[in-house]
Amino acid sequence: MLDVGRHPNIELMAYSEVEQVEGSAGCFKVRVRRKARYVDEDKCTGCGACREKCPTDVLDMYNEGHSTRKAIYSWFAQGIPSTHTIDPDHCRVLQGKKCGVCQKRCEAGAIDFEQKDKIVDLDIGAIIVATGYTVFDPGKIPEYRYRDLPNVVTAVEFERFLSASGPTHGHIDRPSDILARREIADLEKEESRLQKTLARYEEKAGATSQSVFETFAAETATPEQQQWMEKYREYLPLTEKLAALRSKAEGFATAKRLAFIQCVGSRDLRFYPFCSGFCCMHSIKEAIIAHEHENATTSVIFGMDIRAVGKGFDEYKVRGGNKSNITYRRSRVAEIVNGPNDNPVLVYEDTQQQKVVREDFDLVILATACAPNEGMKDMAAILGIELNRFGFFKTRPENPLDTTREGIFVCGCAHSPMDIPESVAQASSAASRAVQTVTVTPAKLLKIS
Amino acid sequence: MNKDMLVIGGGIAGIQSSLDLAEMGFKVYLVERLPSIGGKMAQLDKTFPTNDCAI
Repeated sequence: MLDVGRHPNIELMAYSEVEQVEGSAGCFKVRVRRKARYVDEDKCTGCGACREKCPTDVLDMYNEGHSTRKAIYSWFAQGIPSTHTIDPDHCRVLQGKKCGVCQKRCEAGAIDFEQKDKIVDLDIGAIIVATGYTVFDPGKIPEYRYRDLPNVVTAVEFERFLSASGPTHGHIDRPSDILARREIADLEKEESRLQKTLARYEEKAGATSQSVFETFAAETATPEQQQWMEKYREYLPLTEKLAALRSKAEGFATAKRLAFIQCVGSRDLRFYPFCSGFCCMHSIKEAIIAHEHENATTSVIFGMDIRAVGKGFDEYKVRGGNKSNITYRRSRVAEIVNGPNDNPVLVYEDTQQQKVVREDFDLVILATACAPNEGMKDMAAILGIELNRFGFFKTRPENPLDTTREGIFVCGCAHSPMDIPESVAQASSAASRAVQTVTVTPAKLLKIS
Repeated sequence: MNKDMLVIGGGIAGIQSSLDLAEMGFKVYLVERLPSIGGKMAQLDKTFPTNDCAI
């Protein structure tokens, strides 16, 4: 990534979108919209002083919504370019309210609320489309209850939990526990607010709230006493709720019994019939890393079969089984239900034992399918190329990286589901196909004449 | 004939294509929708089968 930012031949246009493509191979006219960041790219040093005082919290989608960022943000800490961006949907100033703290804090004077989108026209010889994929939304599978059960997460969410820079700093805290802790923090704030109010009344009257409450009669009370008791009535159930939550939180522990469910959305005729290719391996990887982090972790991987096809992949799978407490269970999980302590309970048929089993786990990780991007249809229309029946870009059988329009090539998961080494190999192939388009060879000259 | 290249998408595939083309001496415009490049791979902690760091 750093090399891209530094390379003299690469002009990086981040936070931009291609709007229009005209012409043909060798002489495309491309229009790119450079969206307003409201931060001057040339002035911003990426120091982050602006976001420290930003009052607005927004869900951080880089962490899959498990943490918050500010309305002025960098997509992630090591991001290239390091220029910060103001989120126009959440920034107070851009929503017409008073703020501008970031502008005061920025020593480089980079904040510019008046910035507008810029349109750039480019003359291009060949185009490579590498728009990637999107993670299948497991909420579409009702029996897995992804939306209802907090402790059912996708593999990308789990990846963020495992990451030292993630929302839990690499500890596998359960989402239900995180939510409960957040609720405790909110209630504590409310409690201290009420305590202060009650203390004011108590000081004035020279009596405790409790004693006044015991002898309180609405008919004879002064209006001030009535207000006081109203607050006290709010305070009592709050403390009870807080105490209950606190005692529950004492029992919280990191997730140690993990279940991985394979083929969520893929190899499923209701959604995508194809195999996503990399999910078996990333589930094994996540189970191995979870075990490395916490040795008591055990994992069960539920799948129809484990497809470890690739250099060193099968050895990796076997090593996971032998050294990282992974059990591979041949089964297609029928349902996930809620159990005690927010533990997800898996209902499945163990096909080797020929038994229907109910088993509870601390955390369930769904190996979601590699699905085509939502924006691919629009992109195909802009580029004037076709999609295949699954929604990925259509390619020619004889030239597997050529799209249906000459001079436009596709690579990576925009082509079809594939892992990182395969994406890298395809990317290099697409680059060489693009060069062939713009290079004049004797054979091409002969064809023209 | 124009020789400048356009790469749409700044994930691992787009980054690799851009670097290859740039190394071959072509001018490359790399367009990314999000504020930073890196794509899905930048969200990963480690990669299989070597458990190398993704970033």
